[in-house]
Amino acid sequence: MSTAHSHAPVHDDEHNPHLAHHFDTMGQQNASAKLGMWLFLATEILMFSGLFLAYFVLRMFYPEMVLEAHEYLSKTAGGINTAVLLTSSYTMALGVRSIQLGDVKKLRLYLVLTILCGCIFMVVKYFEYSAKFEHGMLPGKFYSAHLHGYEIEGLPHIFFGVYFMMTGLHGIHVAIGLAIMLWMFVRAGRGEFDKTNYVAIENTGLYWHLVDLIWIFLFPLLYLVK
Amino acid sequence: MAKVFLNGQPVEHPHESHEHVSPMTTYNAVIGALFVLTALTYAVSFANLGPASLAVAMFVALIKASLVVAYFMHLKYDDRYHLFVFLGTIIFVGIFFGFTLFDLQSRNALNDEQETFVRLRDMENAGQGLKVGVENVPERKAKVLEHIEAHGGGEHGGEHGGDHGGGHKAEAKH
Amino acid sequence: MTTQPAVHSDHHAEEPSYLVSKRGIMSWLVTVDHKRLGIMYMVAVLFFFLFAGVLAVALRTELFTPNQDLMSAQTYNQVFTLHGAIMTFLFIIPSVPAALGNFLLPLMLGAKDVAFPRLNLLSFYVYCVASIFFIGTLINGGLDTGWTFYTPYSTSTGTAVIWATTGAFIAGFSSILTGLNFVVTVHKMRAPGMNWNRMPLFVWAIYSTAIIQVLATPVLAITLLLIIIERSLGIGIFDPAMGGDPVLFQHFFWFYSHPAVYIMILPGFGIISELITVHSRKHIFGYKAIALSSVAIAIISFLVWGHHLFVSGQSELAGVLFSFLTFAVGVPTAIKVFSWVATLYKGSIQYNTPMWYAMIFLWTFTVGGLTGLPLSTLAIDVHLHDTYFVVAHFHYVMVGGTVIAFIGGIHHWWPKMTGKLYNETAGKIGAFLVFVGFNVTFMTQFFLGHQGMPRRYYAYLPEYQSLHQVSTIGTYILALGLFWTMFYLLASLFGKSKATGNPWGGVSLEWQTQSPPIEHNFHDTPHVHGSPYDFPEIDKSAGAHAH
Repeated sequence: MSTAHSHAPVHDDEHNPHLAHHFDTMGQQNASAKLGMWLFLATEILMFSGLFLAYFVLRMFYPEMVLEAHEYLSKTAGGINTAVLLTSSYTMALGVRSIQLGDVKKLRLYLVLTILCGCIFMVVKYFEYSAKFEHGMLPGKFYSAHLHGYEIEGLPHIFFGVYFMMTGLHGIHVAIGLAIMLWMFVRAGRGEFDKTNYVAIENTGLYWHLVDLIWIFLFPLLYLVK
Repeated sequence: MAKVFLNGQPVEHPHESHEHVSPMTTYNAVIGALFVLTALTYAVSFANLGPASLAVAMFVALIKASLVVAYFMHLKYDDRYHLFVFLGTIIFVGIFFGFTLFDLQSRNALNDEQETFVRLRDMENAGQGLKVGVENVPERKAKVLEHIEAHGGGEHGGEHGGDHGGGHKAEAKH
Repeated sequence: MTTQPAVHSDHHAEEPSYLVSKRGIMSWLVTVDHKRLGIMYMVAVLFFFLFAGVLAVALRTELFTPNQDLMSAQTYNQVFTLHGAIMTFLFIIPSVPAALGNFLLPLMLGAKDVAFPRLNLLSFYVYCVASIFFIGTLINGGLDTGWTFYTPYSTSTGTAVIWATTGAFIAGFSSILTGLNFVVTVHKMRAPGMNWNRMPLFVWAIYSTAIIQVLATPVLAITLLLIIIERSLGIGIFDPAMGGDPVLFQHFFWFYSHPAVYIMILPGFGIISELITVHSRKHIFGYKAIALSSVAIAIISFLVWGHHLFVSGQSELAGVLFSFLTFAVGVPTAIKVFSWVATLYKGSIQYNTPMWYAMIFLWTFTVGGLTGLPLSTLAIDVHLHDTYFVVAHFHYVMVGGTVIAFIGGIHHWWPKMTGKLYNETAGKIGAFLVFVGFNVTFMTQFFLGHQGMPRRYYAYLPEYQSLHQVSTIGTYILALGLFWTMFYLLASLFGKSKATGNPWGGVSLEWQTQSPPIEHNFHDTPHVHGSPYDFPEIDKSAGAHAH
């Protein structure tokens, strides 16, 4: 299959019901929306970068402690979550493709699939977290795993603090993403999107892919790397 | 028809949008590659590569991220300014990481010279080290101990170890 | 120069100005009009300027003698912390971009509004929520960590740190969203014929500021979040008692806060470019140099934060690198100052209030900038760090720089924003009082610092008393000047003088529409054919710049 281009029907933009009063054309409006979204993604990357730096600093100062403590993270859970998020990125991208070709039904289907994947992620995360809580592997001054029989040399409460902060902030972003996708699903059902007007779906996709991107780095660093 | 302008310049075909639509094969190829690379990362994590393991993992993650950004996020086919924003961000993250780690690295060297962590370990062994987690808050520690007593008491580390992929006690140390 | 005649007020007299186009308080509370939002931001930031300014007067009064005069030592810690935090987060960072930038950016670009008007409204409400958190701080125990929140004190003190850091975190988002909006506006909403070389320099300045806002503020957000988590969960990243590193906090904090000071000053530079050109009726000297130096400053500002950590335990090599890079950032700044002075040369200078403020700026900002050089010299900073020398330096650049420019800009665009003219004589008196008061207050502090007086100290040796007293007297003169300014500006709103669309004869687009502008800014989309500094009386044959 060769690459396709979608052509909007040639009609008078000025009367397009989706055109906001301060823009002259839909092209200007959509280009602005996408640029705005990319700038927002830049801010999200920079915000998470602080946490990644904290992680690298922790590794630098307490290498053995990090090595030991991270053995207690479930690679299986992390692995499932990785597979789930990658799949959800795939379905989201296909959702965008669907509406580019004007297929609203397929868009809604792919949105549902993406939301489903996101929910699976949250459920797995719930089980992961509750296991940690049960064993006293909590952040900072709540850490009590040694009282439950898990002896980790050094200051493991710092590692678990960083673990919960990183996965927690990421989890909050997943939840927000799910809410946004649900809203897009509703809007799509109302017929708000078509071949000429789908930049909100594209931007939702960009946000969701960012959430996936963060996990792509988070998973090996926290769960896998020796 | 009135002339239409964008960014101060006239636009040739203002009422047509030329958005690139990727074919299914592209998306399928990318998701396939992503799964393969993930499996690779997972497998490699069991091989004892030592310090190289971080570099290898990050390199693979970088490839995966590039695929997601270029194809799923369409950056390859988008306005080139978006690429500029993205790369610019990465560069500034690099500056943040670079200078900070560089400075802390030197303090690491100072710590090695002063044997800070050796002394820290001696203090810990003598019972005067920094306290771990809940040890800093005696009231909470008491509550936790009560809770453990009430729910079966003592050591249950070994029983729940298996299903968490490696949750073992001190034997798991490398 | 645009092709359209200056003002259409006679043809379109029916269309009301933005101030009265929609009536009722709700129309203001849910407005998406960038001009109304600019006015609301202006009122808000000036309110906090007043509040934190009163705190400063209290501080200086306390310092009149070395002993307790007004407040205890603990209260003193709270007062200087709140003065700094409120001035930084609720006044100076939003001031020029959110107040003047919001109002002027679309007008100068020939657009109807910013790219995302509803996001603009959201930014304003986010700012309001942030200020509520700061008020919450005041009620719940105050803040005594210094505005810099250094650990481990900030993670262990009993004051309302979480309230304040949450407030600053939220204020940061207002800043990020404003910056994002402005970047997209400058890229996508320019009028026909306005390429990058024909934008007013104020726009270049706001654009460079917006880049810094977008890239730096998220790191502040995560830093403050980490403080909150450290305090509530005791994670141990910054607190050495739990295994953390306090210098790591400083790296995190200053990665934002150094670029932040350029968020504060770059818009001020933009204002000065406008004031000097219009009020000397002369094309700016070195348009490209000033435009590109703004971008250069924005980029280099991210490479110098370590100069705040010279004596914190940072490695020597890092210190040397940061010292060298800090010298580098002075170069584009100096280029601007030279260009402004060159612009004045052989200009037809109008000695009105905005021009007086611009000239005050040239003095006070230059002093501030030059005193940054000994501070960036590693060996000298070891002696000057945390003394009054630093306090004087940053007040010279922030107050003598941004605030002076801001006040000058308020005067310059007052007729455009309000449709009224202030009393020019009153303006000159105010400028004089502010100039004298400011220099008396802060010039003495360079000497105090040089002689070793530490900053944030409540009590001091008797040797320092006379200089402290001079500085305090200066504070009262400055306060008098600022209150005087507020008084005559407010009085002008009730006066009868009506401003024309272009009282100063400016060429940029905001002067090509009525004062105050209609809701949609322009009746017809303007077309731009030349530079915004091609004043009609310039003789082109004499070698003025061609664009």
